[in-house]
Amino acid sequence: MSTRTGAAQRPNGSTQGKICQFKLVLLGESAVGKSSLVLRFVKGQFHEYQESTIGAAFLTQTVCLDDTTVKFEIWDTAGQERYHSLAPMYYRGAQAAIVVYDITNQDTFGRAKTWVKELQRQASPTIVIALAGNKQDLANKRMVEYEEAQTYADENGLLFIETSAKTAMNVNDIFLAIVDELDENVEVPGPNSNKLSKFSLLNKTVGVLSKALFAKIVFPISINRKDSIISCDPSL
Amino acid sequence: MDEEYDAIVLGTGLKECIISGMLSVSGKKVLHVDRNKYYGGESASICPLEELFSKFGVPPPDESYGRGRDWNVDLIPKFLMANGSLVKLLIHTGVTRYLEFKSVEGSYVYKAGKISKVPVDQKEALASDLMGMFEKRRFRNFLIYVQDFNQQDPKSWKDFDPNTQNMQALYDKFGLDRNTQDFTGHALALHRDDDYLNRSAIETIDRIKLYSDSLARYGKSPYLYPMYGLGELPQGFARLSAIYGGTYMLDKPIDEIVLGEGGRVVGVRSGDEMAKCKQVYCDPTYVPDKVRKTAKVVRCVCLLDHPVANTKDALSTQIIIPQKQVGRSSDIYVSLVSYTHQVAAKGWFIAMVSTTVETDNPEAEIKPGLDLLGTIRQKFVSVSDYFEPNEDGVQSQIFVSQSYDATTHFETTCLDVLDIFKRGTGEEFDFSKIKHELGDEEQ
Ligand SMILES: Cc1cc2nc3c(=O)[nH]c(=O)nc-3n(C[C@H](O)[C@H](O)[C@H](O)COP(=O)(O)OP(=O)(O)OC[C@H]3O[C@@H](n4cnc5c(N)ncnc54)[C@H](O)[C@@H]3O)c2cc1C
Ligand SMILES: Nc1nc2c(ncn2[C@@H]2O[C@H](COP(=O)(O)OP(=O)(O)OP(=O)(O)O)[C@@H](O)[C@H]2O)c(=O)[nH]1
Ligand SMILES: [Mg+2]
Repeated sequence: MSTRTGAAQRPNGSTQGKICQFKLVLLGESAVGKSSLVLRFVKGQFHEYQESTIGAAFLTQTVCLDDTTVKFEIWDTAGQERYHSLAPMYYRGAQAAIVVYDITNQDTFGRAKTWVKELQRQASPTIVIALAGNKQDLANKRMVEYEEAQTYADENGLLFIETSAKTAMNVNDIFLAIVDELDENVEVPGPNSNKLSKFSLLNKTVGVLSKALFAKIVFPISINRKDSIISCDPSL
Repeated sequence: MDEEYDAIVLGTGLKECIISGMLSVSGKKVLHVDRNKYYGGESASICPLEELFSKFGVPPPDESYGRGRDWNVDLIPKFLMANGSLVKLLIHTGVTRYLEFKSVEGSYVYKAGKISKVPVDQKEALASDLMGMFEKRRFRNFLIYVQDFNQQDPKSWKDFDPNTQNMQALYDKFGLDRNTQDFTGHALALHRDDDYLNRSAIETIDRIKLYSDSLARYGKSPYLYPMYGLGELPQGFARLSAIYGGTYMLDKPIDEIVLGEGGRVVGVRSGDEMAKCKQVYCDPTYVPDKVRKTAKVVRCVCLLDHPVANTKDALSTQIIIPQKQVGRSSDIYVSLVSYTHQVAAKGWFIAMVSTTVETDNPEAEIKPGLDLLGTIRQKFVSVSDYFEPNEDGVQSQIFVSQSYDATTHFETTCLDVLDIFKRGTGEEFDFSKIKHELGDEEQ
């Protein structure tokens, strides 16, 4: 079953103003609702029986704020956290992280604290970390007190908010709060300078080898060796 | 761990990660295990720098090396050919979206004790100091011939049959001297030895064309290198596997590959846990009794605080020392990357010199490469055996990859992987199984 309510604003095609891109990673114990939060934010949907994440580990969502277009590149853990086997690549270059726990499960709060430590150790020192106490709609089964989490967040300089992917409560808010915070991390821009430009991901490097860039030359692919190995449909 | 899987993959080197990704994408239930607590095995990039020093038993780096965390040092040096098979794999699997690349700035070749830019078009050929005036003309004619060569159109063959006549004959047709043959065969066609001279010319013509196609992508050289080092590549494919349901376990020692009836694999044991499976895919270190040593490769990581002389201060480059130039039978490769690739602290360069071992003194063999580098602040030499599997794995259902060879590119890596996949699954990998709607389509 899925319900659709207003997702965050989408781009309307006209690209006036500045564009910036953020990489945002999600962390937290299995089944706390990481994927559900993303699904709510990106598609405005909720699935009662959300499967453990497979296949949908990289989503983007664009939000327009004033004259700035913010593009979130959202990384979900893809189950690598199950045995604590996340690759450093996951944190690499992330400007923001949402660490999620389930307010009805004390263990997941303990794990969330471990993830915060891990981020402080592995990720960029300027990363913005938000703590999300999810499944707020189940507050009658609450095991983690609001104040306890708030105190912990304050002590560690984290944004904190309780959310419900189910009712959509505070979901857009947490992403927007992150944008605000990221915004503050950037020096005050001059009149014509590109605000937030330090986050643009692709300058200088060859960049992501985009399909468009290679489409012309790469298809159809074949490795001409006696036992021809790959063959591929150019219409991919 | 005590579950049943279609396949268990042991080791998270690049090859194993690509295989794991392809298996998961094909709908197989995969458990991927590494005895180390980091991804990449032999194809990891070591971070922080202190880790590299301690790995080689050297006292820790002083503060001139900057922050240890800013370093990601590859243990196996390789570049990607911009138009080569790994780039194709990356694009078709969508793994490119996790990575960023830089074009390698230049490609150089060694002649008589000094290095020169590999000329790649007529203009560069005319300006090159590799050849005398008349030789330049002849080389230019040769390049034009290759450029205009069209396999479908025998008129473009110009009274030469590239299928029956060998490469030596083609060089002779254009009157190219030994030196020109040397850099053409080794730095453009990327042959490792001179056997190609006696094979049909078409092979080498194709390779030169492919070199220039790769070059045409970004201009300065045909090679690409990933930001943060090669260790990103296995991680990217591991992520692919994970998002298609692959389960990852690092830091898990493997005590036994358990065989059942007819010597077929039935599972993998770690301590008193046992994961059942129908197949195992692994690197040679997990099955020492199923592989044989066929060669040795010597590699030397060199930390420099300056660029390499005569490369116009390139921040990345490849230098090929053709075998004949230094009286050997296999080429010496030098590759250089730097802080601009986020693999070293500001101002630092990492050079890697490697070759196939031919004598009892491997370190002496790479001296011509080391001599090109100027002052070396710290070097780490390693000699590794090159292993090949004894069997194709069909009987035991244990499929073993080959070690990483001395080539500085990934073409052979990809061929091995695709071959293993085919042996293991009985079919070619179907790229259309990858869901491309995820992620980058959103804009
Ligand atoms: C630039 C380039 C792009 C290619 N792209 C494609 C392609 O898109 N599709 C396709 O079907 N085939 C491509 N090929 C051909 C393919 O790589 C070879 O046919 C294949 O690798 C042969 O494998 P092998 O195992 O016989 O040779 P290998 O021994 O694996 O290696 C090939 C030869 O290249 C040399 N070599 C290659 N790169 C380097 C390097 N960077 N530094 C030093 N030596 C090097 C090696 O020494 C060796 O002699 C390309 C080749 C080149 C040179
Ligand atoms: N009541 C309620 N249920 C929720 C909420 N968010 C998620 N769920 C449910 O919790 C379960 C797990 O949610 P997921 O989004 O898959 O959790 P995850 O953290 O992505 O899990 P993994 O992918 O296994 O790491 C699903 O059944 C969801 O429907 C919420 O806010 N309220
Ligand atoms: Mg999930």
